[in-house]
Amino acid sequence: MKHEIRMGLAALAVGLLTSVMPAKADFWSDAGAKYKGVTLHGVTESTPPSNYIKDVLAPAFEKATGIKVEIETTSWDQMYDKAIKDMEAKTGIYDMVYIEQDIIYAYLARDFLVDITKSLKDDPSLKAPDYDETHFTTFANYFKNADGDLFGIPMEAFIKLYLYRTDLFNDPAIKEAFKKETGKDLVPAKTHEEYTQIAEFFTKWGKDHNLELWGTTAQAHTGHPASWYEFFESVAPTFGVYNWGIDASKNYSASVANGGTMNSDKAKAALKYWLHLRDIAPPESPASTWTEVATTFAAGRAAQGLVYGENAAWIAADAEKSKVVGNVGVALPPLEPGVMEDAEAGKGYIGYYDGGAFGLPITSKNKEASLLFLQYIGQDSVQGDWAVAAPRITNTATYDDPKVIEMDKKLNGYYTMLKNDGKLFAGAPPYPFHAQVREATAPIFYKILLGEVSSDDGLDQMAAAAEAELTNLGYRK
Amino acid sequence: MRSNRVGWLLLAPTIAILGIFGIVPFLYVLYVAFHQWNPFGANPYMIYNGANNFRRLVFDNEFLTSIAFTLKFAFFAVLSEVILGYFLAQLFMKEFPGRGLFRTIHTLPLIVAPIVVGSVWRLMMTPSIGIVPYLLKSWFGYDLNIGRDATMAFALTVIMDIWHWTPLVTLTLLAALVSLPKEPFEQAQIDGANRWQIFWHVTLPMIRPAILATVFIRLMDALRTVDEVWMLTGGGPGAATRYLGLHIWKIVFPKTDYGYGSATSVIVLYLTLVMCWLLYVALVARRDQKRAS
Repeated sequence: MKHEIRMGLAALAVGLLTSVMPAKADFWSDAGAKYKGVTLHGVTESTPPSNYIKDVLAPAFEKATGIKVEIETTSWDQMYDKAIKDMEAKTGIYDMVYIEQDIIYAYLARDFLVDITKSLKDDPSLKAPDYDETHFTTFANYFKNADGDLFGIPMEAFIKLYLYRTDLFNDPAIKEAFKKETGKDLVPAKTHEEYTQIAEFFTKWGKDHNLELWGTTAQAHTGHPASWYEFFESVAPTFGVYNWGIDASKNYSASVANGGTMNSDKAKAALKYWLHLRDIAPPESPASTWTEVATTFAAGRAAQGLVYGENAAWIAADAEKSKVVGNVGVALPPLEPGVMEDAEAGKGYIGYYDGGAFGLPITSKNKEASLLFLQYIGQDSVQGDWAVAAPRITNTATYDDPKVIEMDKKLNGYYTMLKNDGKLFAGAPPYPFHAQVREATAPIFYKILLGEVSSDDGLDQMAAAAEAELTNLGYRK
Repeated sequence: MRSNRVGWLLLAPTIAILGIFGIVPFLYVLYVAFHQWNPFGANPYMIYNGANNFRRLVFDNEFLTSIAFTLKFAFFAVLSEVILGYFLAQLFMKEFPGRGLFRTIHTLPLIVAPIVVGSVWRLMMTPSIGIVPYLLKSWFGYDLNIGRDATMAFALTVIMDIWHWTPLVTLTLLAALVSLPKEPFEQAQIDGANRWQIFWHVTLPMIRPAILATVFIRLMDALRTVDEVWMLTGGGPGAATRYLGLHIWKIVFPKTDYGYGSATSVIVLYLTLVMCWLLYVALVARRDQKRAS
């Protein structure tokens, strides 16, 4: 009885204490109190990871801090257009901008971004206890300056990988037909020759069986830089042509004559290989950017293809959007001999490690509140659900999240591949003139795609145009 | 004197707005046009380079090609819109069942933003998912692929522009036709003029100012079109639909070549003025001179 009375009194005391003591606020509500009523504006590309920020993380942050966040998700072109104009004109509209890995060097060269590491050191009261720069994967290194300071919180990181249809590759009738036609087993290609053989086989198979099926995807838009990127970032490296064929150490040379590789024999072989694949890809390929390639694969129209990893999850697991759920396999891209050795030795890479970060423009009018939001999306605790919703991993701990491990099974080991083989892929070269060189050479590239100029001559012209532009920009002396 | 002052006072807001949003930016563009300025260049600041940007334009094949394609686009689009718009205006002058409904539906494209028009047309035209390639293939066995076929891509941008802007021409000409007095037509009929003679000698001269105003507006719009074409073709395939507006956009934004882009803008503005002036001389001034003599 005494025991029961004691227990009752103790419960009463605890109840009274909790009712009269103010609730101990957590870091986010304390830190956010100063900025209550502030509205942060961000602009980003409309991708699954960005949409997750807009739909899930921004509302959660607002709930935790009282700081409202409005994220504008738009097309890739518009996103850059808006962000650069804002930072260039110093209008201070945006408090956060998406920085794709290939533009960071240009932004750093122009001092567009706030040094996040330094800012948090200078004002420790803003430092969130659960945020730690060392928790990011090595992809974060792309967003650091020479001193190792971080200028962007990584928010997406994925590789452009080789997807193939497991249902087709495991179909006994198809396997038998392939073996009969080529003398080989039908397995994901390791070389370009094998990839071409499989692509040709499936395109013919689709035609013979009156199916809407082709052997490969091709991101070959004839008026959009997506095609340029597919070639220089995903295809040319697998032939041993790195950094777009431009050698910064040789006075930014692009042509073979001056020490570059943009018009090398390897580049020419790569382009011929890719143009052939484009010819046997679905008819929408000449009008396809990265988005359409993903939808083509998800619609079950291609047996294999190079697809950006950000789309892998919904293609493999979202039955509302994809017709190939449960039938998607992942593999490393096919390579020429020597390329894997180059990648393992750190002299080259086998494909594109894409991704981006959220940066804080120096022109922002709400830097402190923005720093809070950036730390919020960089915490380990928000990464698991985010990685499941959009296949991107930026924090090392995310690989061990049970939800991610479960998702990895559905994606046939995509996350495992990202973890183990991510080091073989690379982001864009560290040049501050990406868009300028791309725009100077892309018109010639489109002419190649249309057959108005031969691939060999076109690459020669592109190398010359790249060097002329680099001279005009003052990089090439 | 007093009314003069009141007049200026009333005009002041308009002049101020025009100055801030029209004249000042134009003068700035003119200033930048004489500089080399790429914020992502080794030297990101403005460097005075005289008339070099303008000299470069003369030898720029992409620019010259873009002018040619733009003029072709403007010619086909504006001419078709004026002819079609006139016939539709004449149709709406007549009484027929459902006229009001038809006129409302016909006007709807006008309220759609160009970027949306481009998106919808792209959805309709994209090979494999678009309804138009599907129907053309099913009915006529024709493979429509705007990613490969430059002629078809060009034609589609013209058709899209006609679809979007013909209602504007129709409405303008309809307003002009409705406001015409009946007497000249009755007199012409009494004099035994046929329909063609009435059109050529009575209707056309009387609605000439409305036609001219419409042609000027549409011509200037067609010469600077960007959004619709950007969405539908992205300027491709190749440079087949890289019209001047889009060409300048690509120089100024993705390429961030502000100096050269400004010089291109200035030249395009000059070309537009010259074209409008030529059109004015051809259609109005010469006729007035004839009358005077």
